[in-house]
Amino acid sequence: MTGPPLYRLDGVRKLYGDRLALDIPALSLREGTVYHLVGPNGSGKSTLLRVLAFLLPPTAGVLEYRGGRVEWREAALLPLRREVTLLHQAPYLFDRSVAENVAYGPRVRGADPGAARRRVVESLEAVGLRGFGDRKARELSGGERQRVSLARALAVSPRVLLLDEPLSGVDKPSAAVIREVIRSLPARGTTVILATHDRGPLRGEGDLLRLSEGALAPPDAGGGETGVGSGGDHHHADL
Amino acid sequence: MGFLAESLRASASLITTLDPDLLSAVWVSLYVSFWSTILASAIGIPLGLGLGLSDFSLKRPAITALNSLTAVPTVLIGLLVYGFISRQGPLGGFGLLFTPEAIILGDAILAAPIVANFTLAAVRGADPAIVPTALTLGATRAQSTVALVSEIRFGVVAAVISGFGRVVSEVGVAMMLGGNIRGFTRTMTTAIALETSKGEFALGIALGLVLLSVAFAVNVILHLLQQK
Repeated sequence: MTGPPLYRLDGVRKLYGDRLALDIPALSLREGTVYHLVGPNGSGKSTLLRVLAFLLPPTAGVLEYRGGRVEWREAALLPLRREVTLLHQAPYLFDRSVAENVAYGPRVRGADPGAARRRVVESLEAVGLRGFGDRKARELSGGERQRVSLARALAVSPRVLLLDEPLSGVDKPSAAVIREVIRSLPARGTTVILATHDRGPLRGEGDLLRLSEGALAPPDAGGGETGVGSGGDHHHADL
Repeated sequence: MGFLAESLRASASLITTLDPDLLSAVWVSLYVSFWSTILASAIGIPLGLGLGLSDFSLKRPAITALNSLTAVPTVLIGLLVYGFISRQGPLGGFGLLFTPEAIILGDAILAAPIVANFTLAAVRGADPAIVPTALTLGATRAQSTVALVSEIRFGVVAAVISGFGRVVSEVGVAMMLGGNIRGFTRTMTTAIALETSKGEFALGIALGLVLLSVAFAVNVILHLLQQK
C-alpha cells in the first residue's frame, strides 16, 4: 500500500451517556474500495458511519483522514465534509423539487447555475430518474426517494460515499439500479463504505467489516467472504 | 336587549359609512402591530433558532424563562418600558412616550417571547436529519441553518402570525405607552375601552367586530399553515 490510508482510527470510542456505542482500538481503510460494514441492528454501524462522515465526534481516540488528524472544529471539518457524503438509511429530501434537491450540494459549494443544472441531469440519469427533475421530492415512492438521495450524493462527486442500509425497504428495480451505481463507483475513484445488517444483496463485492456491540468482530470463517485481517495491532481491510 | 340591538345597528352604520374615528383606530392598530411584529420577529426567530439548535448547560432554564416571559402581563411590560422612556428615564431624551413608536417598542417586547417559543417548537418538531443532510452535502453551518429554516418555514410564519395576533389584541401596553390619543395613538382596543367607559357602545362594538375579523383572519391563516 502506498501513501497513508484513507481513514485511520486509533482507540476511537463513542459513548451515548453511559452506553458504549463504538469501540475500535485500531482500523485502517484504504481508498478506492467497497467496504461492507455488517452487523445486527444496534451494533454501531450508523455511529461509525457518522464518525467517518465527520458528523459525530468520537468521545475518545484519534481519527485520521488521508494522513491528517481530524480536528473537530467547524472550520476544519468543512473541507473534509465536502469530500465525504453520507446517505442516511431514511434519507431526508428537502421539501422542494427533485432537481432542487439534487442541486443542493453543488449550490452550497458555489457552483454556477449552469454547472449545477448539468450535474443534476447527469446524476438523475445515473440513477435512472431522467425527467424527474420537476417532480416534488416528497411525492416519490420509497425506492425513488432513495435513488434521488443517491443522485444528490453523486452530484457532488464525493471521494468517499457512506451508505447506511441503502437497499432497506427499496423496491426491486430501484435496488438493482442502486447496486449498479455502487458497483461503478470504485472505478470512478470513489471509496464506498456500505452499512447493512444483511449482506445478501451485495454478497461477493468488496471487503467486509463486521461490527458487534460496537466492536470489530473477527471475520466469518467460511462463506468465501473476505474478512478483516489482523495486521499487527491494526485491523487492515486491505485483504 | 333593545339597547344592545340599537348599539349593533349603530355600529354597523359606523362600519359601512367608514367612520373616521373607527378607520383611524383600525389604521393605528394595524400600523403598530405590523411594525412591532417585525421587530419581535427580528428578535424572536433568531432566539428560537439559537435555543433549538444549540446545546449548553443552562438550556433548560433558558427555555423555562422564555416560557415564563410569554405570560408576563401587558401592564407590567407597559410599566417597565414607561420607566425607560418617560422623561426621567434613561431613554427619556428620545421623546417616545405617548407615540406609536412607544407602543411598537412595548408590543415587540410582548411578542418576541411568543415568536421565539413558536420558532423553538418548530425547530424541535423538525426532522433531526435536516441539518446533518445539509452538512454532509457540503453546507456550512450557516447554510445548514438556512436549510432548516426553509424546511420549517410554515412553523416560522405561524410564529410570526401568533406574535401579530397577540399584539393586535392587547390593550395594556397601548394604553400605558400610547396614552390613547385620538387619531394618533388610539388603537382598536384602547378605543373600545374608552368608548365603553363613556357608555358609547356603538363605536366599541364596531371596533370589536373589526378586531374579531382580524383575529378570525389570523386564526384562519394559522389553521391553513398547520395543514401544510
